[in-house]
Formats: sequence, C-alpha cells, structure tokens
Amino acid sequence: MGGLARTGNICQTMRGMKPESPDSQLIALLERVAQADESALRELYGLTASKLYGVAVRVVGNRQWAEDVLQEAFLNIWKVAGTYQATLSPPLAWMGLLVRSRGLDFLRRRASDRADHVQALDDVIADTVAGDAPNPMDTTQASEQAWALHQCLSQLEHKQREAVSLAYLRDLSHSELAVQLRLPLGTVKTWIRRGLEQLRGCMARFA
Amino acid sequence: MNLHRHPALVDKLAASYALGTLRGGARRRFESLAREHASVRAAALIWQGRIASVAELQPEVAPSPAVWTRIENRLQAERQAQAMQAARSAPAPAAPAGRWWASLGLWRGAAAAGVFATVVALVGGVSLNSRLSGQVRELSARLSATPAIEYVAVLSDEKASASILVTFDPNTRKLMLKRVGDFREQPDKSLELWALPPGAPAKSLGVMSGDAVVQLTAADSDIRQSPALAITLEPKGGVPPGTPATGPVVFKGALIKTPE
Repeated sequence: MGGLARTGNICQTMRGMKPESPDSQLIALLERVAQADESALRELYGLTASKLYGVAVRVVGNRQWAEDVLQEAFLNIWKVAGTYQATLSPPLAWMGLLVRSRGLDFLRRRASDRADHVQALDDVIADTVAGDAPNPMDTTQASEQAWALHQCLSQLEHKQREAVSLAYLRDLSHSELAVQLRLPLGTVKTWIRRGLEQLRGCMARFA
Repeated sequence: MNLHRHPALVDKLAASYALGTLRGGARRRFESLAREHASVRAAALIWQGRIASVAELQPEVAPSPAVWTRIENRLQAERQAQAMQAARSAPAPAAPAGRWWASLGLWRGAAAAGVFATVVALVGGVSLNSRLSGQVRELSARLSATPAIEYVAVLSDEKASASILVTFDPNTRKLMLKRVGDFREQPDKSLELWALPPGAPAKSLGVMSGDAVVQLTAADSDIRQSPALAITLEPKGGVPPGTPATGPVVFKGALIKTPE
C-alpha cells in the first residue's frame, strides 16, 4: 500500500484530507474471525455493515433483498476469513467483493426463479437516470487504492460514473446496462468507453 | 499482431476486462493472452484491484438491527449442529445402571431419535434465541449420555408372564439385562445367559446376579452372530466355563437389531 505514489497534486490533496487508514484494524479483526472469534465478527460487523449494506443495496437494488445478501455475506466472511491473507487486497475491498458476489448470486437465482423476470426500475437506477440527485461517493474507511479511484471517478460526470459503477457492481454487459438504465445502447457504450479512458489516464498517476 | 507488445491497448482491454464489459470472444482472447504473458496478467490484476474499490466508495446505508440478530442465530445454530454431530459420533459414556434404566424411554431408534429431532427442531427454528441455548445444551447432554443401543431382546418364559429385557451397546460392549416380572431363582441357583449362534453350540455370555439390573460385557461378534438369546437355570455361579448348559431354558427370545 505504501507503494502508491506520493507525488502529484492529487496525492498532495490526499495527504491533507485522508483520515488514518483503518485497514490494519480490519485486518486484525479478520485474523481473529479466522480463529472463530465471534466477538471479532461482531466488531467487524459494527465497523463495516453500513458500508457493505450500501454495496448490497446498489447490487440488488432492493433494501430487503440487500439485507439477505448482507447476512449471507457475513456468514461467508465467517467461513472464509482465513483466506483473506492470501488476497493482498485492502480488507474492505475484499469484503466488498464477497458482498457483490453474494448479491450477484441472489440476482441470478431470482432471475432463474422467474422466467418472465422484468427488472423493475429500482431506486438506485431511478437516481441514476434522473442524474440530478448525485449519489455521493463515500470515502469513509476507504483504502488508499479506493481513495485513488475516488479521485479519478470524481472527474467523471455523474451519469458516467454511475454507469461505470453499476456495470461493475451488477456485472452488466453494455446491452444489459442499456436496458436497466433505459438508455440507447450507443449512449451506454460511449459513457463506458469515455469513463474508462479517463480512469486509465487518471489511475496511471497512482501506479 | 502481438497484442501484448502494445501496452496501451493491453491496459485498455484490462480495464474493460476488470469492469466486466469486455465480453464474449474478446474476453476469452484476452484471458488466454493473460495466461501466456505475465505483463498482460499483471495489467488484468491491477485493474481488478482498482475496480474492486468501487465497492468501497458506495454510500453507507444502515441495515436493520435484525440482520445481526439473524447472523448470530445462524452462527449459534451451526455451533449447536456441530456439537450434536460430535455428541453423536463420540462413544457413549457408560452411565450408572440405575439412572440408565430409569431413562429406558430413551432407547435408540425411538426416543433418542426423538430427542435429536427435538434439538433439530429447536436449532432450525427461526425464532431461536439465546434463551433456548440452555435447553439445547441440556438436550445435547442427554443425547450424548444415551447409549447407542444396537440390539434389543425381550426374553420371555413360556407363559410370557415374566421376562428379561436385554440391550447391547457395541460402543461400550455393555450388555444390560433388566428383570421384568417377579421371577426369582432359588438361592442355590443362578440364571445364565446364552448366545445361540446358528449351527454352533450355545455360548455363555455370563451369569446374572440377583440384582434387578445386571450388566455384562460381551464381544460384538457373539451378539452379531446370534439371532436369539436364552437364559437357563443353573447351579449357583453357573456352569464351568466352556461347558454346555445343564439346566432348563427359562427365558428365550429373538435378538433384534435396532433401526439405524
């Protein structure tokens, strides 16, 4: 993590604004969870549940489903915490991956349960389409890597940022994203392409 | 074209690969390229790490407090299920005879299974909470104290007016006999228990004392090979080892293997 560049204007800003990284605290908790320490799991939940629930809501687009996803994700964290060390990821990013993958499982199950599945215009998507209710990014507890991404995503237009985020969080193809966002396919492709180009240029400065 | 020689293009593909918008044949080609070339693989991993941080930037939303309660209940249920499994696979400890017979209703295959079902029902219940954990622990202890009875026999006299209940626990090799009814041998006589293997001479399993409950130790094979048991009336202390029965058969009955 110390390998991230400490030069450039953005990094100067980072140093000034970024709160103390809570990574080491989360890592220590994950190690205790790996030893089947339930009080550590509780502490970990207390520190990360709101953040991870936020992820779950964005992935499945429904608060009640997101609670099921959050529950399953934490039971999964309880089982696989021992594998965290091998990942080299920031702890919150790793937990976010588990939540996302539970959420995607949930959506797949739901889609296969209902052959006539039509994705309702969920709250998350409604915000995105409206576009003037900016969904603020939140850097609470963000790792340095996430902070860098935040800096770069901030330079995108709100809608582009949302399209990029949702493409990843919901594992959507261009055409699936177009259907969900109710936008022409060409528009979505352009947003994603430009968004990724800007990200590439910006993230290179942190490499 | 040697794609991996074009770092800017590789970087671009790696970014859409990590985002997930690189699909179909393009994705498969990128994946095989990444397997061949470490630099392509590195670009993919770097972008996967970067994109995964999207999850860290999502706005916080407080979940309902019920979520943690549900997680806690599930953990507790898992713990209990593990304890139950351990209790069931561990050899049953030898229980004091009096207490054991007092809980005859816990015979395996009938009531012991009932105890287990109760525990499972409690553990599986959605409303399981910490208040129940004491009960579950208690049931679990009862189950582990229940002998794993594999064979049961009711040995009756001709008129079925008196009988002897026999159970065998292969884990402890304990043969338990309980007198039911009022048969009492004379003071100078003893009751002797015999295994009756087909096509072979009866084999003595031991001599019963005058107590209401008698515990004998028997080899697993003697019990398994014996479809029936019998009790003869012998001189005090039984026949000398290795000699056949001398007295009349007073009780006999089939040995039944309990359902698993």
